[in-house]
Amino acid sequence: MGRAPGQPLLAALLQHPELGVTVSFFSIALVFVALVPDKFPTLPTLYSILTLAGELGVVSVGVAFLMISGEFNLAVGSIYALVPMGVAYMMMAGVDMLLASLVMLALAFAIGVAMGYITLKAGIPSFITSLGFMMFIRGILLAVTGGFPVRMPHDHWLAFWLNGPLNEEGLRTSALWLLLLTLIFAFILDWTPYGNWTYAVGGSASTARELGVSVPKVKVLNFGVSSLLAGLAGLIAFSRFRVVDPTLGIGLELEAITSAVLGGCLLSGGYGSIAGTFLGALLVAMTRVGLVLAKAPAYWYQAFIGVLLIIATVINHFVVKKFVAPG
Amino acid sequence: MTHLLEMRGIVKRFGRVEALKGVDFHVGRAEVVGLVGDNGAGKSTLVKIIAGVYQPDAGEIYWEGQPRVFRDPHEARQAGVEIVYQHLALIDLMSIERNIFLGREPVRRVGPLSILDKRRMSEEAWRVLQDIGLRRIRSPAERVAKLSGGERQSVAIGRAMHFKAKLLILDEPTAALSVRETRRVLDHVLDVKKQGVSVIIISHNIYHVYEVSDRIVVLDHGRKIADVPKEKVTPEEVIKVIRRGAPLES
Repeated sequence: MGRAPGQPLLAALLQHPELGVTVSFFSIALVFVALVPDKFPTLPTLYSILTLAGELGVVSVGVAFLMISGEFNLAVGSIYALVPMGVAYMMMAGVDMLLASLVMLALAFAIGVAMGYITLKAGIPSFITSLGFMMFIRGILLAVTGGFPVRMPHDHWLAFWLNGPLNEEGLRTSALWLLLLTLIFAFILDWTPYGNWTYAVGGSASTARELGVSVPKVKVLNFGVSSLLAGLAGLIAFSRFRVVDPTLGIGLELEAITSAVLGGCLLSGGYGSIAGTFLGALLVAMTRVGLVLAKAPAYWYQAFIGVLLIIATVINHFVVKKFVAPG
Repeated sequence: MTHLLEMRGIVKRFGRVEALKGVDFHVGRAEVVGLVGDNGAGKSTLVKIIAGVYQPDAGEIYWEGQPRVFRDPHEARQAGVEIVYQHLALIDLMSIERNIFLGREPVRRVGPLSILDKRRMSEEAWRVLQDIGLRRIRSPAERVAKLSGGERQSVAIGRAMHFKAKLLILDEPTAALSVRETRRVLDHVLDVKKQGVSVIIISHNIYHVYEVSDRIVVLDHGRKIADVPKEKVTPEEVIKVIRRGAPLES
């Protein structure tokens, strides 16, 4: 036990959950630079990565925050479609987009709170509660729309704010949202008492309770936050495509969990990083863009991410067992 | 002077089971009380009432002479009751300093924001570690998972002292500890007493309890069957009382 003699620096570095994802991010970036040296290391490529990461990353930050407090939200993909769908319908009915967005985001938050409340009150796994919500919401979306996509009826300044072009080469406002939200939630997690409670309820709910932390309050609020961010990410996607399909975001919950786990979050809670999750989402997006540039068929993307996820998790698991929580 | 804690006729039921059947119990100032008894005697229930985890169904509680029932652990902690559970003392994946201040984080206010005062957490946590004699630990930023069972008990006791506990409750503090670590924890109890703090120590090991206690209280099936100053009994007699479930004939 204790730290390995002679390598305190390495041991200290390994204490950071972001280490693994940082190393893999740069290694894979180097591979792409070697594969497509003319196209990969350019600003337009960076901007397209950020555009993809923007939507995924905002969802992932919320999912990671909740995962650190020891719970899952599989309904984020459905909420990601529900919020813009509701906004599109309201806009068609003549409601201002800003008001419609606020109403739908409030609904997203409320859905998260309800999910958390049911989970904690009934004492059932959030995996199941959120799976139920995921199917329930998706079913409603498909039933109401009849499976057809809905267009944004008219332009609105909010769409530009949420996801508008910032320059000719493809930088969009969504990149700023991702950065801003990453900073805010990383700050909350590591620099506020609330962040301390979030780690604690995920690490050991019973100990946290004994020490006076209100476990249900923290978890329910984090359910709400993860749903709220999923809804916001849905609006960001809506503002880019100007159309919302009732199947939008299917599988997104798993990509968000992938980003969070790549970023160093433990599925069991109590450990993880928002900055790491940000890099995880960036890594997923970079892989997608890089493979396209390397002219690999699009199908390879999933296969590659799958392998990456397993390798990263094996390494993270080893590091946590060996250096963070031995014994 | 009044007792620090005085409980009279405490009854606690769980459904049809009566865990405590009218127990009188008190703790004096700077007194170490050993609370012993077989499994299911009601020891844990009694201390959980003191710590605000449970509320009694009947009976009176006086804290520093005033009638008082703690409604939750937080309230008990604020009044100066610190309980250290065998397995629930600390969270493995968090650093020592974050553990010490969990639920009582020092903050700096910047406008509407409450920001963790990390420097203060780190400095005070370091002082706690020094005071409690954990010299092996190099930094309060180390994670608790790296500590041994005895070191965890020490940190938890150190935390209680840091927050100026008046009554420290130790639930099986020496279970699963090595001989040397047990020694250290028992020494902590005596140190704590020297600082004027009262202690309730629960253990299955009568010899550990006997060594540090001023008075021994034996519970059996929700009743108190013995309450004697240590000088009046031997550890063997205490064990006999627990085995027979009846007071010693004098």
